[in-house]
Amino acid sequence: MMELYLGYLEDNFYRFKPSPNSMSSASAQFATSRRIGIYEPNRQISMWGDSFKADSSQNTGASTIVEADAKHDNRLGDIPLESPGPSKKYDQEANKPADKVLRRLAQNREAARKSRLRKKAYVQQLESSRLKLSQLEQELEHAKQQGVYVGGHLGDSSLGLSGTVNSGVAAFEMEYGHWVEEQNRQTGELRAALQAHVSDIELRMLVESGMSHYDNLFHIKAIAAKSDVFYLMSGMWKTPAERFFLWIGGFRPSELLKVLSPQLEPLTEQQVVAVCNLQQSSQQAEDALSQGMDKLQQTLAETLTSDPLGASGVATYMGQMANAMGKLEGLVNFVNQADHLRQQTLQQMYKILTTRQAARGLLVLGDYFQRLRALSSLWTARPHEPA
Amino acid sequence: MQQAIPYSNGRAWAPRRNGGGAVIGGRTAVEQVVVAARCATSGGEIRRVVEENPVVVVGRRGCCMVHVVRRLLLGQGVNPTVCEVGEDADEAALIAELPPSMAASGAAGSGGDVVGHLRRQGMVLPAVFIGGRLVGGLDRLMAVHISGELVPILKQAGALWL
Repeated sequence: MMELYLGYLEDNFYRFKPSPNSMSSASAQFATSRRIGIYEPNRQISMWGDSFKADSSQNTGASTIVEADAKHDNRLGDIPLESPGPSKKYDQEANKPADKVLRRLAQNREAARKSRLRKKAYVQQLESSRLKLSQLEQELEHAKQQGVYVGGHLGDSSLGLSGTVNSGVAAFEMEYGHWVEEQNRQTGELRAALQAHVSDIELRMLVESGMSHYDNLFHIKAIAAKSDVFYLMSGMWKTPAERFFLWIGGFRPSELLKVLSPQLEPLTEQQVVAVCNLQQSSQQAEDALSQGMDKLQQTLAETLTSDPLGASGVATYMGQMANAMGKLEGLVNFVNQADHLRQQTLQQMYKILTTRQAARGLLVLGDYFQRLRALSSLWTARPHEPA
Repeated sequence: MQQAIPYSNGRAWAPRRNGGGAVIGGRTAVEQVVVAARCATSGGEIRRVVEENPVVVVGRRGCCMVHVVRRLLLGQGVNPTVCEVGEDADEAALIAELPPSMAASGAAGSGGDVVGHLRRQGMVLPAVFIGGRLVGGLDRLMAVHISGELVPILKQAGALWL
């Protein structure tokens, strides 16, 4: 189970990329190291240390010194100090430089040791992240091969996943993305226009744009259906919450009418009757199409379940497959008819309503879909235990 | 209520009195009636079936869209006669064999070349005939149904009584 969402990579990449702050303190540490006399051949090594501390190098230096002092006796146990005799003979001035040198050497050792430990930890973390990344890549690849279409935005990630997705699907995804943007824009425009009480003439223009925008959707869907009908039927091009309501590759007209009707009041009696009839007609048409789909499933299953023992030979098997292929192609017709029904239902509503009511209706629909998409985003981003 | 039945008794469909009641979900008692299926191999045979029956659906054997058309019409209270053509039949040729009066649309307000329209869609069948005239394909039927024109057309053809 993948918990990828837009932003996942960004959220987790902080571990790999050195933060801008670390660059400056890293170079400071580098300089400090040089002063102490430790040569850091690989600049990167000096950077990793910063992912483990938030403080500046000053503090590290201080702690190093403190610890070095604490371990002073242990570390320097085997190093011969100047004999007590001569140190007592010489004045303090002469002893100080020697002490300082020894202390600095100890500090160096300590710093180097700590450095090595931090480096080891960082590299280990890098390795495990790399493994996890390649695991994710594999999962994605596997899922793609199984026909699960991953959203378009993941294709641009630096993981370098090249799609085996067919070009018709890619084209549709792009166009649909634009379609949604435009719909959101139009919805905003309608909202503003209705709040500002613009004239009916202006509203009419907005309504006609809205209606033809839906026509555009059905048009691009028709092209996509020829390319990959199963992709359309899967609803993977929609957000999860929208997908929950999926019916033959799109929204259910009667459901949409239920969302719409309460928001259109006041309606004349004639309009109420007309809307009621439309509700009923679309429900009947949906039922007819659904039953047709059931029949298609049934006949397809029947085509595939004959002769498991293979006694009839290869030719029969191939014949059955060809038969089944023909049936599958019928799915394209179903999606087209369902879209046609959606279009007809919208057109009929347009006929029943006044311009102002139609503008209101389009706003209600646009707003409804926006909310569903927002819900999907929230859902995808919710905190939960990884699988 | 008495009305003349304009077609021959050769049909096997049961009239259903609508009584103004709503048909819910397309599942009606008419389901019990056997599908009146005829097989046709020529335009002439289709013509005869269309002349003899008020509501005819011409479609390929095994086509699931025929099922959709049938369900939709059943939901309105009519049991259409299904005229099946072979899976390899040339749809366009069969339709072309029909007399112009039959092939021209009988649906209100449509006019124009229905057959040409069907051909352009690439889906000539299933084709729906009401009252001896071609209404169109499934999407034409849907459009007519959604706009509320289907029931008047059916009544006009004598396929439905009030």
